[in-house]
Amino acid sequence: MHASLNTDSKNNLILRLATIWRWIFMLFAVCGTAILWMPVSPVDVFWQKVLFTIVLAVFAILSGLAATFIPRRDHRGRTISLLLDYLAFVAAFVFTLNVGQVFIGIDSLGEKFGAGLLFLGVTLVGYLIGTLGKVATRFLLSEKTLQIISRFTMLAGLVLFLWRVDAVTGLVSLIGRLTRPAGLLALSSVVIFGLAFWIMWREPSAVAMGAKTHHEQVINGWLFLSPNLLGFLIFFAGPLLLSLYFSFTDSDAFNPPNWVGLDNYAKILNIRIVPLNSPDQLAREVIDIKVYDEVGRLIIGKFGLLFAAADKYFWLALRNTLIFALIAVPLSVIPALVLANVLNSKIPGMKFFRAVYFMPSIAAIVGISLVWQWLYNATIGYINYFITVSINFWNNVFNTALVDPKIQWVSDEKTALLAIIIIAAWQTVGFNTVLFLAGLQNIPGELYEAATVDGAGAWNKFWRITVPMLAPSTFYVITTTTIQSMQVFEQVFILMNPPEGPNNSTITLVLYLYRSGFQNFKQGYASAIAWVLFIVIFGLTLLQFQRQRRSNIYEN
Amino acid sequence: MKKFTLFKMLSILVLASFILAACGSTATEAPVVTEAPAATEAPATEASTADVSLRWRTRPDNQEEINVYSTISGELDAQLDGITLTYEPGGTEGSNYQDQLRAEIAAGTAPDVFWIPGTDVADFATRGLILNVSDLAAGTEGFDVNAFYPGPMYHLTYNPETSETGATSGALWGLPRDVSTFVLYLNLDLINEAGAPDPRELAAAGEWDWDAFLDVAQKTRALGSDVYGYGASAWWGPYGVWLNAAGGGFFSADRTACALNTPESLQGLDFQRSLYQDYDVATPYGEDPEPPFRAGKVAMFQNGRWATPGVRTVGFNWDVVELPQGPTGQMGNWLFWGAYVINANTEHPQEAWQLVQALTTAQVQGEVAALGANIPSRVSQEAFDAFLTFTPPVNNQAFLNGLADNPATEGPLWAGSWPEYDKVMGPAIQSVLTGGQTIDEFGVTICDEANKVFNP
Repeated sequence: MHASLNTDSKNNLILRLATIWRWIFMLFAVCGTAILWMPVSPVDVFWQKVLFTIVLAVFAILSGLAATFIPRRDHRGRTISLLLDYLAFVAAFVFTLNVGQVFIGIDSLGEKFGAGLLFLGVTLVGYLIGTLGKVATRFLLSEKTLQIISRFTMLAGLVLFLWRVDAVTGLVSLIGRLTRPAGLLALSSVVIFGLAFWIMWREPSAVAMGAKTHHEQVINGWLFLSPNLLGFLIFFAGPLLLSLYFSFTDSDAFNPPNWVGLDNYAKILNIRIVPLNSPDQLAREVIDIKVYDEVGRLIIGKFGLLFAAADKYFWLALRNTLIFALIAVPLSVIPALVLANVLNSKIPGMKFFRAVYFMPSIAAIVGISLVWQWLYNATIGYINYFITVSINFWNNVFNTALVDPKIQWVSDEKTALLAIIIIAAWQTVGFNTVLFLAGLQNIPGELYEAATVDGAGAWNKFWRITVPMLAPSTFYVITTTTIQSMQVFEQVFILMNPPEGPNNSTITLVLYLYRSGFQNFKQGYASAIAWVLFIVIFGLTLLQFQRQRRSNIYEN
Repeated sequence: MKKFTLFKMLSILVLASFILAACGSTATEAPVVTEAPAATEAPATEASTADVSLRWRTRPDNQEEINVYSTISGELDAQLDGITLTYEPGGTEGSNYQDQLRAEIAAGTAPDVFWIPGTDVADFATRGLILNVSDLAAGTEGFDVNAFYPGPMYHLTYNPETSETGATSGALWGLPRDVSTFVLYLNLDLINEAGAPDPRELAAAGEWDWDAFLDVAQKTRALGSDVYGYGASAWWGPYGVWLNAAGGGFFSADRTACALNTPESLQGLDFQRSLYQDYDVATPYGEDPEPPFRAGKVAMFQNGRWATPGVRTVGFNWDVVELPQGPTGQMGNWLFWGAYVINANTEHPQEAWQLVQALTTAQVQGEVAALGANIPSRVSQEAFDAFLTFTPPVNNQAFLNGLADNPATEGPLWAGSWPEYDKVMGPAIQSVLTGGQTIDEFGVTICDEANKVFNP
């Protein structure tokens, strides 16, 4: 009884300390917010100030709320405390790593890793020695001796590896940095926030705060989710929102951006469609050439329509991207469906072919593009060589006079985009085939048996069973391939010289936003293009979802 | 048991790859100077009480160049008191050296000193990314901007606030690393086989003009459907020379307006177009001409000094000749250059300036030029004499003739955006050369669009 009272009073004391800590936390958050807007502020950029102000304000409010909940033993106080201290602990930990220059150290380790690989191999040799087991007796060694040799070899390999990659020097450097004032401050923050988190985490606090099983389950769930969630928020959602902000500025990535409102979007969407008096009427006669450029013209008999835009490259890129998707998606999906049905058979050696068809999907795009660059070469490429050989053969055998087209695959504006489409389709077919194969495995064999009994032929089985039953897989394949196609970049960037291709025939939206943002110093404008692209992709995906819902093939 | 054996086999495989990787890294690692960051930083940090650590970067084209620059970095490290150097070989042109550099500048992790192409100087300078070292230069004894080629120094001393240029302009954005110019790399075996006159002899006799060039190109083209008379890459340099040689050019004289539609520019472009479309003597525009040239299928390959190390490995007789003279009597060649500049955010501007000077001494430039990839940027007879000894090619004089023929200087657009201009010009010209549009269509429309990239 006495012990229980002691524990209760200890617990009450801890929770009182936790309440005080919450007030201190709030005070620090408020002070931090105030400092942000003072001349001594370490943050200069306006949007960063706003962002940090919002974060600190939310922290302050939440901490204040928790401080009122904890004395009332309201569990919400504990939940908020855990959230705030956990986030602060993670931030302090990352800050400590940064102060200790651990990230630069990892870079350096990466550079020197190759030099130490041999010694890491020694560790592996040590492990292999240990696995010899009874074979050791052949060398007049007991298993125990072999284990000792194994351990020492592994240890020696590890020590030599650490020595070779200068890990000791790095460690000394890290300790040196962490014992300086900034390092000590960072370390103390880690300890304080860690301690604060632990205080509320411990079971007696949980009991005192009236934690129920479902409370614990929720908290544990969020904790397990937190690494991924934080990564998503920091490395995806954060930059996403940032790019939205940049799309309303004239950011060049180097200097403080100026707010330009909807100017970037207005420029992208500023188009004119005007009738032409004759097909060859000059654009300057019908549009203000100081604002607009001709994108293209539609000729109908003696008349025509001129399509002009303030940013013609965006519209050319959109046109090329849509054409690319329109052709590349069927070319990546239909052959994959056929191939999957062929590879689904139980013929010997089929696993080998499955691997072969999948190979292009796992090969690096850069390497693939370079190989195709050689294949496409109009003068010494194999594709044209085979065309020439085939035509010569045909002419000789059938006494015809077919002319060798000598296709300039990547340097002719009529074929450049097609060349890219062929590569993309070739590369994606294998992956899509695997997805279809997985779908085929899920179709019950009884359906085919029943169909066979009913006298259905191969085509009927394929068309009336396989295709409908594969609808979910088909939907997934088409959706992902469409999204992928709308983001085509690498193949164009590597294969084409210049990447835009002859007369901008291979400029795509991602290529254009990359060139704008990273080469032409227009990060703000590039962000706006990215958001328009996002809306286009989102719209297309939504359409596909609606079509899928309407079809209801699978349910029927 | 089966799994265990599999694991052992995998271990052996991994082990083998480790050994191979370790051997591989040793082979390439030796010449590279990497006294860099954190893990190795403790000694550097301790040494920092005495030494200033500087990182510098340049764009190498191959491992040989990386080796030379690494050696130079080591030598300068020993020479420069109080400065510890780390050389970081940047990516090659193909791996987007500039894109990576821009990203690092934005992130605040770019080196103290780095190389940029001449066309980028204005963009970097006007955005405050590189340091104006005119004050430091003014206080440097013996420093003279006139020691370098005037073309690059025009831009490197251009003051965007006053539009003045020269030693007293109050601006100095860096010093040129090297210069280069175009020549025609000749496949002498093909030219002999075709019975065409030797371009080198024609050049010596003053008869090497567009007609003579076309004659050689047509005769060699007649050798076979897979043999070409001429090949050039698809960027502004190669097509620019034809415009320049006809008396035209990309810009107006003061570089504030488009001049692609002048009769002279159109004449030059039309001649080049005829090489592709009418006479069919050239490798298809947009296709890399180097592989067919190396395969012995191209008689005349237009490229700069940077191509020399690669051409030295071909298996046929070769040499170089200057570009043919155009209607104006000039070759219309370019003076290519790039500069070492200082990061505006460097903590050690004084030391960085010391490094830039050290990297552009005659001795260091000689070491780089000896590799054969470029030409010293200092104007001196001594440098010329040394350059002529860096053979093959035998006819190194062709490069110097190109430099002496009043070449147009590669340069940025102070009154606009060069990348934007290139974005408009490149695809349009490619369209002409591949038959997508006519010269007339090009002439009528090109400047409407191109003029928009100039500042209002």
